[in-house]
Amino acid sequence: MAEKILTKHFDLANLYEIETYLEQGGYRAVTKALKQMTPAGIMDEVKKASLRGRGGAGFPAGLKWSFVPQTSDKPKYLCVNADEGEPGTFKDRYILTHNPHLLIEGTIIASFSVGIHSAYVYIRGEYETVAQRLEHAVVEAAEKGYLGKNILGSGFDLDIFVHRGAGAYICGEETALLESLEGRRAYPRLKPPFPASVGLFQCPTVINNVETLANIPAIIEKGASWFLDKGLPRDGGTRIFGVSGPVVRPGIYELPVGTSLREIIEIHAGGLKPGKKLKAVIPGGMSAPILKPDEIDIKMDFDSLAGIGSMLGSAAIIVIDEDTPILDVLEKVAKFYAHESCGQCTPCRIGTSWIYKIVKRMSSGQGEKGDAEELVRLASNIKGKTLCPMGDAASMPVLSLAQKFKNDLESCLKEG
Amino acid sequence: MVEGALIKIVIDDRPVEVRPGTTILRAAQQAGLSIPHFCFHPAFAPAGSCRICLVEIEGLPKLELACATMVRDGMKISTQSPRVREARRGVLEFLLADHPLDCPICDKAGECKLQDYYQEYGLFESAFREAKEKRAKIIPIGKRLILDRERCVLCTRCVRFLSEVTKTQELGVFQRGIHSEISTYEELPVKNNYSGNLVDLCPVGAITDKEFRFKTRTWFLVQKETICPLCSLGCNIYVDYHPGFTRVPGTAKLYRVRPRENPDVNGSWICDYGRYGYQALAKDRAEKVLWKKEGRDTIMSWEKILILLAEKLRTRHLAKNISGIAVIANAWLTNEELFLFKKIFKDDLGLTKIFFADPKPGPEDGFLLQAERSPNVRGTKEIGLQMSPARLEALSQNTDILIIFGTFLSDLDTPASLKSALGKIGTKVLIASQVNGLEDDIDFILPAAGMLEKSGSLTNKNGKIQFFSAVRPSCGDSRPEWSILVDLAKELRINSGYYSLMTQPDVIFKAIGKEIAFFR
Repeated sequence: MAEKILTKHFDLANLYEIETYLEQGGYRAVTKALKQMTPAGIMDEVKKASLRGRGGAGFPAGLKWSFVPQTSDKPKYLCVNADEGEPGTFKDRYILTHNPHLLIEGTIIASFSVGIHSAYVYIRGEYETVAQRLEHAVVEAAEKGYLGKNILGSGFDLDIFVHRGAGAYICGEETALLESLEGRRAYPRLKPPFPASVGLFQCPTVINNVETLANIPAIIEKGASWFLDKGLPRDGGTRIFGVSGPVVRPGIYELPVGTSLREIIEIHAGGLKPGKKLKAVIPGGMSAPILKPDEIDIKMDFDSLAGIGSMLGSAAIIVIDEDTPILDVLEKVAKFYAHESCGQCTPCRIGTSWIYKIVKRMSSGQGEKGDAEELVRLASNIKGKTLCPMGDAASMPVLSLAQKFKNDLESCLKEG
Repeated sequence: MVEGALIKIVIDDRPVEVRPGTTILRAAQQAGLSIPHFCFHPAFAPAGSCRICLVEIEGLPKLELACATMVRDGMKISTQSPRVREARRGVLEFLLADHPLDCPICDKAGECKLQDYYQEYGLFESAFREAKEKRAKIIPIGKRLILDRERCVLCTRCVRFLSEVTKTQELGVFQRGIHSEISTYEELPVKNNYSGNLVDLCPVGAITDKEFRFKTRTWFLVQKETICPLCSLGCNIYVDYHPGFTRVPGTAKLYRVRPRENPDVNGSWICDYGRYGYQALAKDRAEKVLWKKEGRDTIMSWEKILILLAEKLRTRHLAKNISGIAVIANAWLTNEELFLFKKIFKDDLGLTKIFFADPKPGPEDGFLLQAERSPNVRGTKEIGLQMSPARLEALSQNTDILIIFGTFLSDLDTPASLKSALGKIGTKVLIASQVNGLEDDIDFILPAAGMLEKSGSLTNKNGKIQFFSAVRPSCGDSRPEWSILVDLAKELRINSGYYSLMTQPDVIFKAIGKEIAFFR
């Protein structure tokens, strides 16, 4: 079994308590970073590790940090995106529940590297108990001197604030997250300017996913090349794959980046339940284009999946079996995005609703010939034309479902 | 303006040179190309939400916003490529799918962006087969404003105007996704002195004006440019005027006033005080020359009244007995009229009893509306007239001829004391476009053109001289004050050669320039 980075000590019941975490070597990376390394040195190490954003877009983390202007006299902020809302995704919940100090440690190191003194964890409102556990961990870390003024005598100050979202998917979009954090309606912002230069409270801001930051301590402690060895040259480390659907062992599996989808489903998750037959897989959260059974011999990394027209996204694997009508999948997808569209821009606001209306009609047995083509046409008019990435997230699964499973959809057309 | 090398770009194979920091949309406008837009408005930061301004930039994978993307040297932009046209049609198709298409009863029809763009870039057959969203259509959101949520395209111009310009923030977007809607916060209405701008700003018929709703159709209206006279700023405005159906008498009417962009004066806005105040100027117009003798109105000709009036003035002037003559002007008169007024009454006749009656100052609103509620206070001063306020009670003691311009006397005194003062004066002449309240105590009423039917210039509080032209043809027998003054001067026979040259406001303006450097 490959070595784990993030879920290594998950079997310890009290890992979330700082004493247990320290016994396992916790906060050694912070000590090393603050006492032995320079901010620039840390950033270099993270760049060399090819750590790519775990939120879904896969942007190199070190590069993102380096975009923050070091000459600005404004305060800088770190926002931890814990608004885990992509359907099928539950990896961050596991990290926050079992190992909150790992996130705190990564947050301290990232903040030190970029020169940040205030970090906000934006956590989805539904994760109330998780948020309480994180808050408890923040208090513990402050009591031990890992947060607050003059951390470990280094002269570096950092405060972490936990902020609860109120249940909108769009708040996971980084600029909508900033708006929400500032107390406004979560409408995504126009880019440019990018958050690195104009972000939270109009100040330079880094926004990283929970899992991304949780990888930082290991990179600092063991080095970039060790981390890189765990994954691929352009996509280092491990990923926490969350497998759901009719498999024998649904759950999270931390495996090297580049592990094949078939291996994850058939070996780690134990394959499909007896009597079930694989029909399709959504490989990276609901917005990832769907794969057919003959496409699952694919390496699970950003570039490989992009190469076959899908995406790794949040690495949430949704397994669909032959007993699940594709129209049901399509209805879930269409309903979700119509419900979660923030409504700011035209194609997403009206397009997602229009698509859902067609799909509902199809589901009620009133589907007509040409509906699948119409879905493709409408989704194409959304994709790439919206203000924020949610337009792509909403249209890609519809496109792939309507194209790859056209026959399934047409078999549900109304009689005559 | 920032100096610097111009950036060379190509839009639709057309080379264009623009300043750095120009958006693609602006650059295209400068090159004479229009790119459709709903949410973009030059007065606000781009919102980028309507998505209809997407253009193709060579070398970039995605279509980009014309409203928010700055040009870069060497950029090659297409506003008409197949991809752009397809995206544009897509946006139009989405908007129309969620639109009631009630153009036949919509006040915006004829000047609606959604109509225009569909005509220009759409013309597709509707593919929308599902049920339309039902929304509230008659929501009062302010004293004169009605919101129709079915027509709304959620460009949020109204929300941004109230947040960025008036900073009163009465409107917001509520709900989300397809249920998104513009609304006031609970029942608190849009209540500020700029609310009328929301109607102009709305690219579709979602916000309409109660004063305009269902009254006419936009295509009947003639748009005229003029200056608002209701305060000393002189906002630039459009007046939309129905010239009238030839076979239906009484259909000629002023329907609305809208802001005309001028960055030096009023930006893109006007206040409600001016907007609705100007419309009131068109009402209750004086139309006939009247001699009000012993309770009976006798209609007179201009020729007769001017001879009669000139004779009264002339005999006193020749007898060197001018102390009984008083004149009251106001700062609503144009530069040209005030100049003639000064020349005739002060220079030629040598009158000393020259006074002013202007509207009382009102509260400033800190944005456009000024305390001084007359448009030409600065011009009056530059021409060399003292704005001594008319104290009618004192004035009436030994005055036997009083010529009054305008009706603002009633702003200076109570009706009772005005009546008693006027009662002591032998001959009272009123030259005004409206006669509200004064008509019973006046002997002669001379109908003036007022602001609507004359041309000339006004000097605003900052010294900016602004020219304007008649908005509509003369009402009844009314004449512009400048021409009344010229003809009166001719009859006075003091300097008649000079006045017979004063045939038009622009000629008079040149004559002012010869005497006063400020007007050169």
